[in-house]
Amino acid sequence: MRDTAFWLSSAALAFLLTAGAFLFLANLATAPSEKSLRPDQTPGGSGPAMDLELDGERLASLGSLPDQSLDLVIENEGAKQLTDVNVTLIVSSENTALSSSRFYRQTVEKIPAGGTASVRFEFDLVAPEQPIARVPAAREEPSREILELRATTPEGNSTVRTVILPP
Amino acid sequence: MRFRVGSKWCLILSVATVFAVGCAHADEETPIAPLAPMAGRVDPGLGPGTRALSSGPGYKGSPSWSPGGDRIAFTVDGYVVDKPTGSGDTVRWTTKDFIAVDTEWASEETLLILGAAPPAEAEKSAGSLDSLYRAHDGEDSLGLQRVGEEVLAIGPGRGGLIFALGSGPQESKLALARGNGEIYRPYTRHIAGRVAALSASPDDDEAVLAVRPPNDREISGLSVFDLRKGEGRQITRLEGNQEILGTPQWTQQGIYFVAGKKSTSLDSDGSEPLYYLYRVPPSGGAPESASGVGEDFVAATIRVSPDGKWLAVIGRLNPKAPTNLYVLDPLTEDFTAVTTNEDMEIKTGPDDLAWSPGGESVAIIARGTPSTEPEVRAEPADRLLRDFDNLYEIPVGGPEDAPR
Repeated sequence: MRDTAFWLSSAALAFLLTAGAFLFLANLATAPSEKSLRPDQTPGGSGPAMDLELDGERLASLGSLPDQSLDLVIENEGAKQLTDVNVTLIVSSENTALSSSRFYRQTVEKIPAGGTASVRFEFDLVAPEQPIARVPAAREEPSREILELRATTPEGNSTVRTVILPP
Repeated sequence: MRFRVGSKWCLILSVATVFAVGCAHADEETPIAPLAPMAGRVDPGLGPGTRALSSGPGYKGSPSWSPGGDRIAFTVDGYVVDKPTGSGDTVRWTTKDFIAVDTEWASEETLLILGAAPPAEAEKSAGSLDSLYRAHDGEDSLGLQRVGEEVLAIGPGRGGLIFALGSGPQESKLALARGNGEIYRPYTRHIAGRVAALSASPDDDEAVLAVRPPNDREISGLSVFDLRKGEGRQITRLEGNQEILGTPQWTQQGIYFVAGKKSTSLDSDGSEPLYYLYRVPPSGGAPESASGVGEDFVAATIRVSPDGKWLAVIGRLNPKAPTNLYVLDPLTEDFTAVTTNEDMEIKTGPDDLAWSPGGESVAIIARGTPSTEPEVRAEPADRLLRDFDNLYEIPVGGPEDAPR
């Protein structure tokens, strides 16, 4: 009788300890991953991360005029100095039938680790004349202008920001 | 006795451990990470299972699935492209200065395009001198071959394409083209009025035509044309400044069309014009409001499923409701919302809706509501979805199953 009770108690104890261990491990597994994915990082580069900062008020003040300017701050979020960072600006129309894209490029020689560099682009933001009178789409409204800013390191790391300007 | 005391304490300790460890949260503030979406699947606000078929800027329109369903052609700012419905790059079929109105696949390798090349554009006065062009896959895709001039409307049917040609200012004619785009049957009998849109019957033997009758300013006539006999007849005509919007659709339960008071801009009270869904039997008669959709339903675009059993409808449950995609079963009058859109603008052009060949899904065009402030995104422009008009594949169930 005592042996039976002993074995039953031991089996129950082993079951409870095992169940407790599994529950403990399951709770550990719900901890969030500490890796932060950056959606603006294009694949291919393995160097330090960059961030691009734009002045929202300046963006709002841009108009469909020549001689517009825009300041861009590039932040080196890595632990190593960045050199020869290519910064490009492509100005295009939402209407892809218009071949009016303008391309601007500058190079930043170095950005210290944790530091920033500022780049100013001067460009035309004049909406090109619409050669097509008939609008094929149902939405009859002016096209928006698009600014695509990209910083690229020689190692292939790239960070991009696309700005869509209201008409 | 020692055993009894020891086992009792072990049991108590074990139960306490289970409750303390197993039931406690490791971190009360830890959010649950969202599930990673399936490859190619997005949820742009159009409901689960939605898949983007295009991305980037450009006004898209007139989607058309290839007969095999593995490619979809559409217009972008007037020019024509096609893209694999799986993964793959977009292929351009026309030069960027081409103005396409509609595109249809005549076969897996041939695309027929209704539109105008730029030199003809300058000569247009009434905007009705479009031509039909043929483009073959694998050839110089930007070199189009003109198949017919003064083409008014096109629609798939009879294993190829049915199209209407102008025949004087007040008349039209129909013709059939094969899968390779060659015209093989031009009908000699004239149709009174100008055909504005057409589509085939479920058995492919007839076509329904939206017609602007002679001396009428509105597209107010609805005719059927027997493609075997080459004879047509008017089945109904709208009165009171009413016009037919888009292409009438021939289901197994009758012909459906969208109509309403002609819109020039805005009505006198400042509200937008409203169009409604009507049904008329192929034998003709007075149109009646479509049953099942609700008396307040505002319709924009309709397309019949490949088997003729279902009608996809883009519209609003009432004038103040958001635009959504619905599927009507004309037999049971079951009307089901397929999308649950609240913040997307679904495009409502007459050709901005297409069924996949198997009837499992529908392609629509939508975008997010544009902001009046500059928007900054962390992706290249050609990968953005919500900011621009883009194509989405919406699953609606197979032809064997009732759309949900």
